Amino acid sequence: MKEYTLDCLGEACPVPLMKTEKKINSMEVGDVLVVQIDHSCAMKNVPEWARTQGYNVEIEEVEDGEWEVVIEKTK
Amino acid sequence: MDKKVEQYDVVIIGGGAAGLTAGIYCGRARLNTLLIEKSLVGGLATYTNEIENYPGFPEGSTGLGLMELFHKQAKKFGVKFKLTDVKGVSLEGEKKIVETFRTNYEAKVVIIASGGKPRLTGAKNEDLYLYDKGISFCATCDAAANTGKTVMVIGSGDAAIEEGMFLTKFADKVIVSVMHDEGIMDCNEIAKGQALANPKMEFIWNSVVEEFAGDGHLNEVVLKNTKNDSLIRVPVDSCFLFIGYLPNTELFRDVIELNRPGYVITNEKMETNVPGVFAAGDVRDKFLKQVATAVGDGAIAGYGAEKYIAESEIFESQIMGSELPGIVFLWNAVMPECRALLPVIEAFEEKYKGKIKVTKVDIYKSKGLADRLEMDEVPALVYIKEGKIIKSRKGSFTETDLEELSAL
Repeated sequence: MKEYTLDCLGEACPVPLMKTEKKINSMEVGDVLVVQIDHSCAMKNVPEWARTQGYNVEIEEVEDGEWEVVIEKTK
Repeated sequence: MDKKVEQYDVVIIGGGAAGLTAGIYCGRARLNTLLIEKSLVGGLATYTNEIENYPGFPEGSTGLGLMELFHKQAKKFGVKFKLTDVKGVSLEGEKKIVETFRTNYEAKVVIIASGGKPRLTGAKNEDLYLYDKGISFCATCDAAANTGKTVMVIGSGDAAIEEGMFLTKFADKVIVSVMHDEGIMDCNEIAKGQALANPKMEFIWNSVVEEFAGDGHLNEVVLKNTKNDSLIRVPVDSCFLFIGYLPNTELFRDVIELNRPGYVITNEKMETNVPGVFAAGDVRDKFLKQVATAVGDGAIAGYGAEKYIAESEIFESQIMGSELPGIVFLWNAVMPECRALLPVIEAFEEKYKGKIKVTKVDIYKSKGLADRLEMDEVPALVYIKEGKIIKSRKGSFTETDLEELSAL
């Protein structure tokens, strides 16, 4: 099980989601991706997309307006 | 992997206007409160660019800006936040459990403020183009990416038309698909007038979506004329759906009473059919879904949570948990006939001190304890022994009545 970090700081929609999709597709089942975002729009589509894929998602608010979306590729 | 267990007084599911307000009330009442939100704190309001009718902000506010203030205020009162989705709940019984991917949260009270999710059209190939592939639900989020482009808006309600107008600030052309006859829209008259006069907006009347098409990314929406079934192929760069919401209540379906479309049924105290479970905001079956009404719901649910917890403690420790047999006097402080009985009950209490535990319950502010004692009017007496209701009586009484009731 590997953990990857994806830096999407400063990037607006839909870039964070496009990058997340691409990165996840290159990962193995069981790997974890931490997506760093600071545009609130990405908080609406990145977790939502990952959940519709059936992945486990948890979010940490690093500070006001900055988040880490932790996605576990479960299948 | 064993799940962690954490205990709280109150767990609030959903961090929109209703959940955050409930959090502010619970936090301020010094209840240990957790709010669980699946993505961005602020809920549906953060999808709106401009909120002009929330009182206290005469210049208007962005949805996100307003919700950031709510969030800050809840944090100030010590509410804890967890950003994840709820996987399951167990709500019946005194100890409620809210389950997430890693943790089970135990609580005395659960407040359901899970709101709604955008409704989809159900048209062909819709699932292939969601989010970054061209179908969006959030103009505020995706407007800038559509600068100089052609976009379609589906719907004619307030959200569709107001967000559509916002999109005209970025896009070259905004085409609105409306299912009604020409000139008929579901939005308010002001928005309608502005939209019809907006040179960047076009309307396709009597139309619904038949199919979404594209090449990896959406590039065409196929509409169907509802009058003659003819198909209209419209080339677009993206499409925004504003055709209403569905309640987020799948998790509660088996336990909580819902209406036919799936909204939670509550009374005016925001109580659901399960004791200790409240609902607030858009998830409720209600007349008007707005930030202003969500705030009212949240305040009532938060206050109700506090009362419920206080009453549970009195009920369990003082009334049902007493080692002595007990008499409960249910009264209402504003009723003279109840007040007149106070000397009788106090004399009785004094006479049988150490033998009978007397509890006086004023129902003026809350009928919660009377309900738990299965008594629907006052004045009334309930006799309890070994944690069970043995006998009760309604109406006025004398000391002899009291002695008879408690078998003395």
